[in-house]
Parts: sequence; structure tokens; C-alpha cells
Amino acid sequence: MYRRIILLATRNRSGISPIAEHSINITNQQETKRTSVSTCPNRQRMHYNKGVCAPNNRPFSTSTALSKENEESSAPKTGVTEAKVKEEEPRKSGKENLLDLLSAMKVGVTTKKKFQALKSQKSKEQPRVHPESMESATSMFQKATTEQQAQKESLSPELVAAASAVASSMPFKKSQTESELLQQLRKHESDTEVHKKGETNNIGNIIADMKVGKHPNARSPNRPANQIRFDDDGRGYTHDRGVVNEFDAVRRRKSLFTGKRLNIFPSTTDTTETEPKEVSVPSLWDIELAGQIAAVIKHLPRNGFEEMIQWTKDGKLWQYPINNEAGLEEESDVPFHEHVFLDSHLEDFPKQGPVRHFMELVINGLSKNPYLTVKQKMEHIEWFHEYFQQKEEVLKESEAY
Amino acid sequence: MAALMLSRVVKSGFEFLQTSFRTTSLAQRCTTGNVEQVRGYYVNWRMLRDVKRRQMAFEYANDRLRMNAIRKNTILPKELQEIADKEIAAFPRDSCPVRIRNRCVMTSRPRGVKRRWRLSRIVFRHLADHNQMSGIQRAMW
Repeated sequence: MYRRIILLATRNRSGISPIAEHSINITNQQETKRTSVSTCPNRQRMHYNKGVCAPNNRPFSTSTALSKENEESSAPKTGVTEAKVKEEEPRKSGKENLLDLLSAMKVGVTTKKKFQALKSQKSKEQPRVHPESMESATSMFQKATTEQQAQKESLSPELVAAASAVASSMPFKKSQTESELLQQLRKHESDTEVHKKGETNNIGNIIADMKVGKHPNARSPNRPANQIRFDDDGRGYTHDRGVVNEFDAVRRRKSLFTGKRLNIFPSTTDTTETEPKEVSVPSLWDIELAGQIAAVIKHLPRNGFEEMIQWTKDGKLWQYPINNEAGLEEESDVPFHEHVFLDSHLEDFPKQGPVRHFMELVINGLSKNPYLTVKQKMEHIEWFHEYFQQKEEVLKESEAY
Repeated sequence: MAALMLSRVVKSGFEFLQTSFRTTSLAQRCTTGNVEQVRGYYVNWRMLRDVKRRQMAFEYANDRLRMNAIRKNTILPKELQEIADKEIAAFPRDSCPVRIRNRCVMTSRPRGVKRRWRLSRIVFRHLADHNQMSGIQRAMW
């Protein structure tokens, strides 16, 4: 069961057809994982890899990458990437403090080349904190596995609890695996948030685990090089440093809105905006009127740019920069564990036998498919359920149901 | 009776023509103001049939996928697979994707069609020579 918890940490974006072409037996899963990890060409830490595909045109390809977490937690010594953890605050008590801990942690992500150096450094690190004040691991684990929906802004306590339960069930270094799992989860969350909001400026603030480098003020006007004047060149002037000096303070500010208010303009009152809007349902006449106005206002495109604008509004042209998930905005709100943990939908099927085996393969394939919505996956499973119910007699004759 | 059949065929044809007609109902004016002739019809009946096959293949795609998953299997019993074979053969013939032919979009030519542009070689050459294809240049090396 913990294999699937581990899968939760990474999300594979390359598609696979809903039915896995090679039959991966569930019992042999770990062995196949280990062998194919060694052949996996991609050694870096897997993020949310967005495949490039046109809307409504999803290519199928076999997935090659597998969960790195499994690798790390099962065999940390043979792991490829390693997170170096420095814990700075002593534990207070309770689950929520793990989050505080994580936010204070500074983690550096390294590649395989630095692994050996890190290993030697790890032994010198400070003594770790153990999740002793947690409840029993099995109860946490049960609670975590039965939990279906977790709407969260940051890491939900259930996920944190699940991570700690998994870590405590591992034979190797528990707190280290736990922190790694949590770091993965946090990164995953931050990636999805950043992608949702489209912010690219504040990644350094959002991804709190990475070291944030502060750029020293590049222009230091008091450098000796700037003080030397080269009037002898015949140009008659030096580099214009005066202007640089004046605006340096302004430039140092990272954003426009810091600094003292001058109170020149009165701030806008919000009374007009808070009035409730009285339009309930636009009638057909209103729609017709709006259409007429729009038709009158709409001018013929004067140039190619306006033509392209018109086409984009019509939907004939894609929106640039290309958004791979153009029609799928709602889908991004669906938490990833609903895509991956489809086991609970298999309750209606028999527990043993070839039908169950077949459905487990189906579930396995579906969980790896990033191109289908959860609804579509459910439809597949329900179709199979109905089909097997219809063919119950045939299956019972061959003793398969 | 022949007239009935003919009328039915024409009706189904015109349904498709109407769907295409709806999207290109207005003669578009280009930026210079000249009225460009816009296609309101498919090039020929063969193209129309191809369109029908594509739409049907899209409809039945999921069902076919699932039935094939049951058929191409070593786990499920063979009796079930035989029944699935018969069921998939009972699907309408136009629902299988194999019958789709990538025709030229402009001339409906079935052969010599480059996939990237969906155009036959003749139309492609025509447009490229008149500088209508972005990024296409005569090869010379």
C-alpha cells in the first residue's frame, strides 16, 4: 500500500494509453520499478513535466520515468538526487509545527555528481527531530488512506500526517525520508499554484525550500573605477554618473508601490462599486440588443493584427503564449490524488480472479495518464463495470467472475 | 423507391453541407475590403463521406478502445474475448479509424498529401510559389 503513497509525490506527465500494453503484475511492481529506473535516462528530479500538445490532440506515448521517491525512500544510498536538510528550529509540539519547520528549512537540490560530497556532509549534520508526539503510525496511515478529498492552500495536515506515517514505516532514516517527502509535496503544491496563477516573478518567495539568492547592488557608484575621469580623450565629458546617483535609490526599490505616500490625490471611495447589481437574467431582447450594438461597433479589421485579434476572439486562433491546458481550467482544481488513487472505484468488482487483475491493470494505466480528466477515467471504469455485469453468465461459466 | 433513397441521401448530404454552411455563412471581407470567396461546401461527395467517417470514428472511439482492451488480453477468459470480437464486428463500419483517408483539404486528392499541411502536393506547390506558405522556401543546395 505504501507504494502508492510514494507515487503521490511525483506526477508523470508523459501519456500512456489507458490500458497498459505490457502487463505489469502488481506484485512485481517494485522489481520492475527498480530495473527500469536504472535504464531511465532522465536523472534529474522530475517536476510537473508539461507535455507540449495542441488542444484536443493528445498523443500517446509510453512512460519512461518513474517515481523518484520510491528510489529515495527504499534505497537512499543508491538514490540519484538528494536533498540536503538543515533544521534550524527545535520542535515545539504537534503536527502544525512541521509546517513551520519546513518553512524555516533551507534545502538545496543537487545532482548525482554532488551526492558523494553530500553523503559525507550529512553525517556531520545536527541531530534530527523525531515525530514522537504523533499518534500511532498505523492509525495515521489508515486515516490518510481513507481520506479522499483534500482542498488545500498549503500542505494539508492529512498529507503531512501521511508523509510522516510513510516515513515511520520505512526501515531507513525516518525523519530524513519524511522531510524529503514533505519537501516534494511542498514543491508540487507550489508548482501547481504558480502554474495556476501564472506568476513568474515571485518564484523565489514561493518555493521556500530553495535558497534565495540576493543580488548585491550591481551599481556601486563609489567604485574607484567610476571616479576616474577620462577628459583627456577629447570627448569632453565623462560617463553620466549624476543621473545614475539620483535614481539609484528609486531603482533599488523592487516594486513601484513601496515608499511614502504623497497624498496628492484622494483615494477612491468604493461606495459605487459595492452596490448590488440588479440585472438578474438577461431576456432575449436584451441579448438581441447587445448583439446589435456589438455588430454596429465591430469594425472591419484594418490590418492583419486586428484580423488575428478577431479570430482569437472567435476561437479560430489559439491564444498565445500557447497554453497546453486551454480548455481545461476546471481540471487544474482537481487534486492529483484523485487521478492517481483510483483503487477505491474498484469496490464493485470481485476481489479475486482475472477480472480483478484486468481492472487493476486498467487502473494502473489510467493513473499514469495525465491527458484524461477524472470524469473520463471514471467513465472508463464504469463502462467496464457495466460490461462485466452484463457478461456475468459467461464469466461464471468460465469461472472467472 | 429509388427517388426516396435518393432524397434521403441528398438530405443527409445537405445536413453536412448545412453544418459546414453555418460556419461559413457570411462572405468574409479581408483587410483590403475585397470580398473573398469562402467555401460553403465540401469539395466532393468523397470528402463528405470521409468527414462522416471521421465524426463516427470520434463517436465510437472510446467504445472501440475498451472493446479492444478486452479482446487483446491474456488474462480474461477466451469465451469473453470471442463475444467481444463479435460485438466489435457489429459496430458500424464507418466507426473504425482505419477507413479514414487523409485527403487534401483543398482538392480532396487522396494521394500525395503531406500530413503537416493537409494539402496535396500540387496545391502545396501552388501556394508555396505564390508565397502563401509561411516559412517555405524553394530548396537549393
